[in-house]
Amino acid sequence: MAKTVMITDDTAFMRMTLKNVIEKNGYSVVGEAGDGEEAVALYRELRPDMVTMDITMPKMDGITAIKEIMKIDPQAKIIVCSAMGQKPMVIEALSAGAKDFLVKPFDAERVVESLRKIGS
Amino acid sequence: MNDAKLDFLKELANIGTGHATTALSQMLSGRLFQLVVPDAQMLPFAEAAEYVGGAEQVVVGIFVVVSGDVKGHMAFLLPLDSALVLLRLLIGDNSGEMNELARSALQEIGNIMITSYLNALSKMTNLLMAPSVPGVAIDMAGAVWQSVLAGAQVTNEVTVIRTEFFADGESIEGNIIFLPDDDDFKKIARLLGLGEM
Repeated sequence: MAKTVMITDDTAFMRMTLKNVIEKNGYSVVGEAGDGEEAVALYRELRPDMVTMDITMPKMDGITAIKEIMKIDPQAKIIVCSAMGQKPMVIEALSAGAKDFLVKPFDAERVVESLRKIGS
Repeated sequence: MNDAKLDFLKELANIGTGHATTALSQMLSGRLFQLVVPDAQMLPFAEAAEYVGGAEQVVVGIFVVVSGDVKGHMAFLLPLDSALVLLRLLIGDNSGEMNELARSALQEIGNIMITSYLNALSKMTNLLMAPSVPGVAIDMAGAVWQSVLAGAQVTNEVTVIRTEFFADGESIEGNIIFLPDDDDFKKIARLLGLGEM
């Protein structure tokens, strides 16, 4: 069965772009969240195999959402996809529990590579 | 303004936008997508709006508040015509209408341009510069400037970096606006060994 992925990004355009890439490569996108709060609620409900997480979002940022999701499921596999690639932010995300950090804009291959690595 | 400062701004613009452009090209399915930075300026606030197309031209503005070790405001402003070319190339939308998807594509492009610039500057200075969630405004330039600058110290000079992209033989103009708080601009300059500016 295809591995399941939940996408978190505040722009519809980026969610669409990510969804295309992810589904073309044999994964199943089971949910889309537009902010951190939604991501936490959807994670609890859907328990996807993997999550992509933006950092700068309204209501709840990605770092807080990673921490909340890790509380629900310490085994959660979260890949950050954010334009904000500054060192302190990368370190904060990884120590919060993220497994990988992709800096936007990214190419499709890099996303797939990360999903393969994290999902295996 | 002295030459060293201008060179510094242009170099920063090249580094910051270079990375974003490479990836924009990938988002455009590998279509040729060149970037030139023909001009970088420091302008008094009142002149800046005029420089970016004049107060009455309709523009798209994507703007953020910067927090962290450096505080200030940043924006990416492009004429409506350029925004429509970008949308056609990016999502195949020829309608010329600003629907939800079009707006969010522009928000993301602006976000990536602004943040790439901040990332480059952060790498060179080791200072954290975190952008807020971007706002988007589509209006006459004068009105968009008001949104961009809400809360900014308007005593500052405004840094305007004009960029020009070419994709499929069409030109797309964009302007990166950077308004660090006064003290923080000096901090950046000091860290980069440029002395007092």
